Amino acid sequence: MGTSWNQQPNPHPVMAVDRRKIAVFGAAFVLRLLLTCLFPSLPDLLTGRVEVSTPVNSFKRLQEGLFLYTRNVSPYDGGVFHQAPLLLPLFALLPDAKSWPLPTAIFYFLVDLMNAYALMTISASGQSVKSRLHSAVRKHVRWDGVSVAAWFLFNPLTIATCLARSTSVFTTSGILFAISNAVGGNSINAMLALGFASYLSLYPALLFIPLVLLCYDRRLEGPSPPSAGSFIIQHAILLLASVAGLLGLSCLITGNFWEFISATYGFHLLVPDLTPNVGLWWYFFIEMFDSFREFFLGVFWLHLASYVGGLTARFRSQPLFVITSLLGVFAVFKPYPSISDASLFFALLPLYRHLFPLMRYTFFAGSAILYSSLLGPAFYHLWIYAGSGNANFFYAITLVWSLGLSILLADTIFAALRDEWEQEHPEQVGTEVRQV
Amino acid sequence: MALKSAIRNLRNNPNLLYVRLPNLVSFICIVVGVVWLLLLPLNEYSRQTYISENALLPGQVHAYFTGSEQNIFRGYKKELEGLLNDGQARGGQKDEAEVTAALSDKLQSILQAAGLKVATQKYEYTSAGITHQGENTYAIIHAPRGDATEAIVLVAPWKTADDELNLNGVTLALTLARYFKRWSLWSKDIIFLIPPDSKTGTQAWIDAYHDMHPASVQPLPLKSGALQGALVIEYPFEHRFQTLHIVYDGVNGQLPNLDLFNTAVAIAGGQMGIGANLQEMWGHDDSYEHRLQTMFRGMTKQGLGYATGAHSSFMPYHIDAITLQTKGEGWEDEMALGRTIESLCRSLNNLLEHLHQSFFFYLLMQSNRFVSIGTYLPSAMLIAGNFTIMAIALWIRTGYYPESKPSAKPKNEKAPTEEKGTNTIVERNTIAERYLALPLSLVVGLHLLGLVPLWVFNNVFHQYFTTTTYIFVVVDIILPLLLAAILSNGLGVSKPIIPQQYHLIKSFSLLLLGLSLSTLATLNFSLSFMIGLLCAPLSFIPRLRGSVPFRLATSSLGLVLLNLVSPPAVLLGVCWYMGVSVETVLTQAAFGWDVWGMWTQVVVWCVWWPAWLIGCVLLGSSIF
Repeated sequence: MGTSWNQQPNPHPVMAVDRRKIAVFGAAFVLRLLLTCLFPSLPDLLTGRVEVSTPVNSFKRLQEGLFLYTRNVSPYDGGVFHQAPLLLPLFALLPDAKSWPLPTAIFYFLVDLMNAYALMTISASGQSVKSRLHSAVRKHVRWDGVSVAAWFLFNPLTIATCLARSTSVFTTSGILFAISNAVGGNSINAMLALGFASYLSLYPALLFIPLVLLCYDRRLEGPSPPSAGSFIIQHAILLLASVAGLLGLSCLITGNFWEFISATYGFHLLVPDLTPNVGLWWYFFIEMFDSFREFFLGVFWLHLASYVGGLTARFRSQPLFVITSLLGVFAVFKPYPSISDASLFFALLPLYRHLFPLMRYTFFAGSAILYSSLLGPAFYHLWIYAGSGNANFFYAITLVWSLGLSILLADTIFAALRDEWEQEHPEQVGTEVRQV
Repeated sequence: MALKSAIRNLRNNPNLLYVRLPNLVSFICIVVGVVWLLLLPLNEYSRQTYISENALLPGQVHAYFTGSEQNIFRGYKKELEGLLNDGQARGGQKDEAEVTAALSDKLQSILQAAGLKVATQKYEYTSAGITHQGENTYAIIHAPRGDATEAIVLVAPWKTADDELNLNGVTLALTLARYFKRWSLWSKDIIFLIPPDSKTGTQAWIDAYHDMHPASVQPLPLKSGALQGALVIEYPFEHRFQTLHIVYDGVNGQLPNLDLFNTAVAIAGGQMGIGANLQEMWGHDDSYEHRLQTMFRGMTKQGLGYATGAHSSFMPYHIDAITLQTKGEGWEDEMALGRTIESLCRSLNNLLEHLHQSFFFYLLMQSNRFVSIGTYLPSAMLIAGNFTIMAIALWIRTGYYPESKPSAKPKNEKAPTEEKGTNTIVERNTIAERYLALPLSLVVGLHLLGLVPLWVFNNVFHQYFTTTTYIFVVVDIILPLLLAAILSNGLGVSKPIIPQQYHLIKSFSLLLLGLSLSTLATLNFSLSFMIGLLCAPLSFIPRLRGSVPFRLATSSLGLVLLNLVSPPAVLLGVCWYMGVSVETVLTQAAFGWDVWGMWTQVVVWCVWWPAWLIGCVLLGSSIF
């Protein structure tokens, strides 16, 4: 997957790059604005789609919580709202989305642009090609930050998530800012941002180990390196403190600590809502006898968490790559995945442009993802509206979607391993891989 | 051993592997797909229909609608006829609105006298500059044994699907309303709906029933429960009829559950002794040719996706519906039709849950013979698959198989040592760099461009449709050449394109086409099959090489042939062959888009047209 974006040298690099940046960000903003204004029913349509909105990020449910909150009722009464309470005062400041949709929409557009800005910072640091312990073989094959940002901003999945006003975008911001601060050497801010993301959706906490290693590697490049143990413990305490602070604030808002904990994190952990989504959990847990439920909940969560250890150990030299591949794992295996998780994974992939020549199945993975993104809505329609299909139709397609993502993920990991191997064996560059 | 060496030979011959073989496989896919469809009418591949839902019990009850009810029928008919003739006799003096109002009042008073709750609904639609308006009258029998959670609908439009006056049908509905009211056995409400025509009335009513109506349609003052099924009665002439014609196609090719059709056939044929026909096949002798013809007619209707009668509007709401039309000259009178409908209603009344047992995807080839989706789907999927095969082959070809010899590295280079000076590493069998930005943006851009004709053909006033079509024929001739010239020479807009990018453009375009068609095949098999066949040449369009006159001659000929299968040209051709005017067809299509929610146009302009355009651009680029 290679493009010839901006390959020619430019006489005024700074000016031109700035202009390109403005063009990309401006075009992304205008495109979103046009879509909202020309098709006023589009945001509500997308908000209702199961592929975009899950019980833990749906804007509709947020509205419900907001309604209760502004009327001084606990937002978790009624069991519809399962998102973090700090979102409520934030959205209470914005005008009502039903009668004044534009301010909320523009707020979301700006969050998207901020995320793209964070991506540009990550790309500019060059950590993806050259870090403390690793230096890629094909360093020269890479995209600049603007291309990476454009890839993120014009990704249809990102646009759909943004228009659907899914609250996942805030988790995405948390994660992206955590990474961009970490690669920038600002480890305290990185932990605060990760704390924010974990507070919103719980699962980003799994990124702690690779992220702290990334911060540690950056710190070692500077003067007066600390010892690894104390560095990690300090940052763990920092993360816990930031989460605790946010939880304390939430407690002030909702009043009842245990109610909101069980309605949000309990909901994430125990997966009681089996509304269809693009993930693998809902169908599995619908089919399961209740007596096995707890056991398999444990197994599924353990499975999700187990990737952290393995990938971190194997790719110790490339913590940023561990984060990228973990985000791919989350997009497939987390309990309530939506296309926003896939869009976050796709956002970080172009940082590894130098691995693309080593990847073998991009076209097949891309085709599988394209096929499933067309067939998914069609089969959902057949199941829910036309009544001529059934749940198996949609589940089969979510399997294909997950398969496409996993192929892409496995292929990326293969390419990264191959890259490491070629670095160690320069004489073997370009030889064919053979399974033995 | 022979096989192994054959495979080894194939690997060593990239031209065969990446150029010849995919062409051959694609071609075989198309041929097998078509042959597959042609095999379906044979006894070995089609199946006898059967009633799957046991609760229906078709024809197990005695129908009592006879004798004295005929007098009621005659009386009602006389009253309605009187009003109609009154309007006609005074001609200019009394305008149509007054007659309609008088008829509506009469209907309401008759239904009220029979003890039903009556309501009306006004509506208005505007499409292609034409305003359609009317008023629905409907009445509800509340089930003595039910709780108003389920209902059956009986529809008798004033105008049939062929725009004839359906006086007998309306009268029969009124008689049945009075007759049904006196029975105590109904467990579902029965709704009698009398819309002014077959195109708009039921659509307005069913939209409003589900609160999905636009602002120009009034809401319903009176409602019942979830609709379980709908029957439309058409009896547009005075003499006795011979057979019943069952129409079952819905909007966008959606079909009612096969059980409903089977029940109608079983009751008409088995219980009442009236023959049942479908797809206007009057002299069906169950031969292969007639079965195939029936299937093709069904596929055409399904593929075009328009509403074939008042029943079609029910289908998008997952309400199974059919139209019963009386045809021919024979022995059967309105009482026989009434008994058939009574028996059908009794069967539907038996239902314990929504019709779900039988097939929703089927092709009928005789009133008692069908093929189900598992048997017929492979044919459309094979045709859609041929595009995907070509797309994959082209993708691999751009990466592994050097197109232009000098720029690519020599094939048999073995020594890894040399050429390390300039920072480039010799990669012996990794893939070549692909330049995707231009192909991706071109393919996506042209697909978005399809929105322009989509908008134009749905929003132009109806009198300009013919002109617009001819303009588009001309645009379709010029636009590909223009694009090809820009791509080949740059013309200062961009850098000239390299051969690899042509393959990538074609690969992406075919990938999208294959993708859309295989998705479409699960929703509307026939449309996917038709578009797939019309697009089949696009798989095999090469970018010609050779001397200038040869390229010029061949690609011009190819472009002329391709222009013959362009969307507007096909439209004109079909209209000419069928003897209907382009304006009528396009007005109907715009009406379908505005009112019925028909999306055939989206497929034509956003799937077929861009793929066709890209094919033409590739062929046209051989000239420059």
